[in-house]
Amino acid sequence: MKYLTSLLLTSATACCGLALMGGSAAAAPTCEDGPIQLGSVSTITGPVDFSDGPSGAKAVFDQLNAAGGINGCTIEYTMADDKGDPQVAAQAARDLIDNRNVVALGGGASLLECAVNAGTYKRNDVLSVQGVGVDPMCFNAPTIAPVNVGPYTLTTAMLDYASNELKNEKLCAFFIILGGTQEAYAQAVKRWEAMSGKTIHLVDMTLPLQGDLTPYLIKARDSGCDAVLTNQVEPGVVQMINTADAQKIEGIDWIFLASGYTEGVAKALPDTRQPVYLGTEWEPYTEVNAANGDWMAVMEKAGLAKTAFSQGGYLAAKVLVDTISSIDGPVTRETIKAKLTEGKPMKYSIAGSDYVFGDAAKHAPMQATKVMQLSGGKWVPRTTDWYVLPPVE
Amino acid sequence: MNSLLASAVAGLSAGGAYAILGVCAVFTYRLVAVVNFTGAAIGAAGTFVMVTLYESGYPLAIGVPAGIAAGALVATWIGIVMTTWFAGASASTKAAVTAALLVGIIAVGLRLTGGQHPHSFPELVTGSAFRFAGVEVTRASLLTLAIAVVFTLVTEQFLARTRTGLQLRALSLRPMAAELIGIRVRLLALCVWAVVGAVTSFALMVIAPLRSPDFMSLSLLVVPALAAALIGAFTSFRAALIGGLMIGIIEGVASGLDTFSQYRGAIPFLVILAVLLWSQRGARWDEAR
Repeated sequence: MKYLTSLLLTSATACCGLALMGGSAAAAPTCEDGPIQLGSVSTITGPVDFSDGPSGAKAVFDQLNAAGGINGCTIEYTMADDKGDPQVAAQAARDLIDNRNVVALGGGASLLECAVNAGTYKRNDVLSVQGVGVDPMCFNAPTIAPVNVGPYTLTTAMLDYASNELKNEKLCAFFIILGGTQEAYAQAVKRWEAMSGKTIHLVDMTLPLQGDLTPYLIKARDSGCDAVLTNQVEPGVVQMINTADAQKIEGIDWIFLASGYTEGVAKALPDTRQPVYLGTEWEPYTEVNAANGDWMAVMEKAGLAKTAFSQGGYLAAKVLVDTISSIDGPVTRETIKAKLTEGKPMKYSIAGSDYVFGDAAKHAPMQATKVMQLSGGKWVPRTTDWYVLPPVE
Repeated sequence: MNSLLASAVAGLSAGGAYAILGVCAVFTYRLVAVVNFTGAAIGAAGTFVMVTLYESGYPLAIGVPAGIAAGALVATWIGIVMTTWFAGASASTKAAVTAALLVGIIAVGLRLTGGQHPHSFPELVTGSAFRFAGVEVTRASLLTLAIAVVFTLVTEQFLARTRTGLQLRALSLRPMAAELIGIRVRLLALCVWAVVGAVTSFALMVIAPLRSPDFMSLSLLVVPALAAALIGAFTSFRAALIGGLMIGIIEGVASGLDTFSQYRGAIPFLVILAVLLWSQRGARWDEAR
């Protein structure tokens, strides 16, 4: 009997990663009021479709429920759509909190949800394990801790990479500024300058979302940039590299953030000779390896496409499942908050940093990226190691 | 100074695009009396039909004509909507209808073309023609300009010298009277729409590889295009042509100047404002006197 119990415990820890939580293995979460309610607010319809994020989270919960739940407790997961509209985002969050009585949020991927709802989460004492945080508030609120690195930390990391590993001297950065992101990108550049003791050669915050990029590329070339970092999204990456080719620009490393990391971008640029690099949020999703193994298995079982966004949803769901599993007693907003704010590091193979929520006033736990290079219409990992930034002071 | 020249030349490729779309906007307004907000979206639809065929392995010799035909078809469809329900409506109502159609077309287009996911646009004309002030002037931007110039000249001659041209002018000035004297108003109007659709589709196919390759960005090219048309007061093809080029060049210069570059997006609006003030100056001064 004793053998059987320990066997069960071992398998439980193995499957749910309880050991990594450092929590007591005998924890037994209970749910007297029915299934545990979780939810997320994501941009699903509207200007972009980030539904892969929450769908990835849902796949984790569905498969957990099918296997009997956590200590018999199943999870009911509500995916709300903010349509890229702040008002809808606010309503969606209130609906999840007041009507659905969610105990926590997680796995959401939205353009603006953090900025709109951080205050609501604070007032209602509910925490959010954001799947893909985009707006600066995702990384600057006490109630939100995303599982992704985010564009700002990635900016710092990629500048550092360009300077240290690609040996570029004159680094230039061109940013598209949407909403209140200017300050966050400026901070990201400053952080790199403080870290490296170097100064950036040129910063241009006026890159247009739509429009011709030729004048900007000419400016970069004529200013003598060795590397150009931008926060372009998918179509912009393609446009930029095509324009660089049309202008026969040579000798500039083009550096992008995770927003350019899709197979569509790689396929649209099969013949370019420009050196193109970018930093990923997690283990590169295009690679089949052990680190991606569990995520891939979950996605395949759910019949979902394997995208970077689904990694975010998956990882956030894992964090929530492991947090709930470590609770001894009823699963409520309070108990989840207590567990998350303990700030114990949680380790997952698809991320380069340990995930920590903790009780700080703002959170950006993920500080590691893997660098990919475009080669023959494919993204190829440049290194197998994580490129990790030193902790923020 | 040299860098300013480089920025100006760099603005040429955008200018060519604005010019052809601006000329098409004047064309639509003069002949069917519609301020057409869907101009670029029609072209985007045709372009994406071409890209879809190209991506599924068809050669360009099939893809390009099919795309042009698709653009003409979408434009004809909009023409049918306009002539069936809004033939007698005021110009502002018609403009509002096309603005509403634009929103609809973008929404549907984004869904059908996979949202922001980029497509691999084949370059119909590759390479650069020459290098000027350190900037490669691409064959594509020269071709766009050429299309704009040829379209302007041909249309002017056609309207001035042919019988159909005369009928078209009658149609736009007094549609009711034209109908009464036996001109086949509806057929002519639909032909105008089809021509606009075909021309913008081809122009956008040439422009697209160097623009942000998604449906919305291409559709929104209509904003600077309408500014260009306004410079021609929606009547002069040549003024719209030059206006489009000027907007492109001013945008290029502005992005080379740090102080101005963040207001670059506002340039079409500033141009519209300046033109309105200038064109209304007579009325204002007369009143003051």
